[in-house]
Amino acid sequence: MARKVAIVGVGMQKFARRKEETLNEMIFEVARNALNEAGLTRDDIGAVVCGNAVDAFCGIHNSSKCITEGSGGLMKPMMMNSTSGSTAISLPILGYTHVASGLYDVVMVIAYEKMSENLGAQAVFNTCYDEVYVRPLGLNVPLQCGLEARRYLYKYGITEVQMAKVSVKNRGNALSNPYAQLPMKITVGDVLNSPYISWPVKLLDTSPVTDGARAVIFASEDVAREITDDPVWVRGVGRGANSCYFMGRRLDDLGRLDYAYLAANQAYDMAGIKNPKVEIDYAELYDPFTYKEMQHCEAMGLCEEGGAGRMIDEGISLKEGKLPVNASGGLQGEGNPIAAGMSRLCWCYKMIKKEAGACQVPKEVNTAICNGWGGMYQYNAVMIIGRD
Amino acid sequence: MGKRVAIIGIGLTNLEGREDLSHKELLFQATRRALTDAGISRNDIGSAFTTSYDLLEGRSLSNQFSLDAIGGVMKPCDLRLGEDGIYGVCAAYMEVMAKPSDIVVVGSVQKASERREKENAFQNIVLASLEPVYNRPVCNTVPISGLEYALAAMEARWYLHRYGISEEQTAKVAAKNHKNATKNPRAKNAKKYSVKDVLNSEVLSWPIKRLEAAEMTDAACALVIASEEVAKRITDKPVWITGVGWCSGTSYIESRDLSSSPYIRAAAQHAYNMAGIKHPAKEIDVAEIYDTYAYKELQYYEALGFCGEGGAGRLIDEGITELGGALPVNPSGGLLGEGNAVGTSGLIRAAYAAYQVRGEAGDFQVPGVDVAVAQGWGGIPTYCGGVVVLSRW
Repeated sequence: MARKVAIVGVGMQKFARRKEETLNEMIFEVARNALNEAGLTRDDIGAVVCGNAVDAFCGIHNSSKCITEGSGGLMKPMMMNSTSGSTAISLPILGYTHVASGLYDVVMVIAYEKMSENLGAQAVFNTCYDEVYVRPLGLNVPLQCGLEARRYLYKYGITEVQMAKVSVKNRGNALSNPYAQLPMKITVGDVLNSPYISWPVKLLDTSPVTDGARAVIFASEDVAREITDDPVWVRGVGRGANSCYFMGRRLDDLGRLDYAYLAANQAYDMAGIKNPKVEIDYAELYDPFTYKEMQHCEAMGLCEEGGAGRMIDEGISLKEGKLPVNASGGLQGEGNPIAAGMSRLCWCYKMIKKEAGACQVPKEVNTAICNGWGGMYQYNAVMIIGRD
Repeated sequence: MGKRVAIIGIGLTNLEGREDLSHKELLFQATRRALTDAGISRNDIGSAFTTSYDLLEGRSLSNQFSLDAIGGVMKPCDLRLGEDGIYGVCAAYMEVMAKPSDIVVVGSVQKASERREKENAFQNIVLASLEPVYNRPVCNTVPISGLEYALAAMEARWYLHRYGISEEQTAKVAAKNHKNATKNPRAKNAKKYSVKDVLNSEVLSWPIKRLEAAEMTDAACALVIASEEVAKRITDKPVWITGVGWCSGTSYIESRDLSSSPYIRAAAQHAYNMAGIKHPAKEIDVAEIYDTYAYKELQYYEALGFCGEGGAGRLIDEGITELGGALPVNPSGGLLGEGNAVGTSGLIRAAYAAYQVRGEAGDFQVPGVDVAVAQGWGGIPTYCGGVVVLSRW
């Protein structure tokens, strides 16, 4: 049987459009913060797992080989995983397997992105697409999100006003987050009046370009119980992947994220959770676009399929709501350093530990879920953490 | 759940330029062979993932198109290692032990033939791989067409000098591997060369000569890795993964001890501890080593504990690592003999080692292999690598 794994510390730093530090320095800061929080030293770390979304963002090929020092991985096993946005959670899942497999007792997981090093994020994204069929069309992430959002809104009768409410919620929540890049007090009208990026997605439905890193330390049960009286366990992990040929996926619908349902079901099975709406106390979901948070609420089972519009209308996902989502501000408010969206996991941990400061939700949080979404609209990774 | 993990399927394409196939088709070929070899279908796969380097494949997020080829669609396959293929074996081991999946496919593909070598594509990627603040600006002063060789030559020069290894001894490694490759039907570009041929070939960057540096090639490889329970049910010739280890050294070239490979020493130590190997030279029957350059194979003899520090010259002089010697190294021909599919080569090493354990290596089979070692390296200019121990029992 796989071993029990706990999270014993997270390392944060402020997200910014352009950080002056080098990649190595950025990573050093979060690794140091995580070690301090866990009360561990570099010598306690058995292995390092690190990754970004796409190497081309920071302009270093094979970038994990250039952060050995900053990450504390010098002369230790280091493994790099990159799956675009879903790296945010697929990376900690890889860290989890390091410990659960019995190979290592304490593992440092570091997600980083330095997007200010490239001339244009969308030009980089274009290089992700198939070179024969898709790249020549000039496809990029906003163009593709327009297609997907359009289908999603049409299929479930979701409105642009409902999307706008998510933006207002997340940017407003970010006002309490000291690490946030883009906290904003805005109204639904502001969002609706912002220019279209790719109909129906508007400027204030999107997330900013960001530099930033996050660190999480995983430990085996023995180590965790030594360090803390209140360990936060990894209760479930799940991953899903669909074909990259999104135009040719025969059996599904662009508006429904089959692969995200797959990932969520896997994680719930592992955690033994039957009714997420009741059993999940808090969620941090990957929200590079407003409608994405809504799609993920549905796929994670936090509302019924097609019910995400009602969820935001009724205020369920507000900070003081019944099932708060992204009280940290999410990618929209906190910033979107794609892989360092691992911040979602960090905030889940902080909510459970009641260490979220001004972002802390009023309700008691024992079980939280977070996810990452990536690839070219094809990957999803889910992690559920909580107390016993 | 069983406590062990085994390789139950091996799929490997020829090593040759294949401009007629896309990398997806090439990887599909390898995966199809691995699944057929294991006697399972796509539906049996628990999860599948790849190892790849973005710039070498000419696309960001280079795994996403591999997903269809390795049978990962609508499965929990959200994983892609930006590492050499040998790390794939290590990650698959953990994946099975940690139990998200019982059957894992790990694949890797490399299409060197798509790179514009006339425009120094590979050399520019080497430049882009360098630590960007301190190392890259220095290396900007090296003529780009020779960057890779200049970096390797610094290591080679210091290694040869420190341990008194001669250029004849590195040439012998190249001659051995080129000769071994002629017995390997997958090595389409194999050709026999004498030690003299190697010594007389063009100097790329002293002391590295043309025949001592592996040529780039296309290839794909896939392994099916499963839990003990599944392995015992499906196959009567499982190849057990008894040890894994990997390690990263410093990012900064000026901080490295260029004469040795402490990262492989540490990785091997971890893998040997797991496998209970105390005397590698005695207990290991065959090794597949990442010999991008001839001197690298010698360095890795030492790091893998086949001889003491500086003892690798004697090993090759005495023919111990020849096919037919006491500890044959790279009977398949290695990267020098069959070509270097960068990023995939480590997985290919593991595939050949697994064939040796099964006794299915054909003309280059080493008799009576119980324990085999496969080793991978991140390639120039990295200072990291991994080691896998495979066993019949």
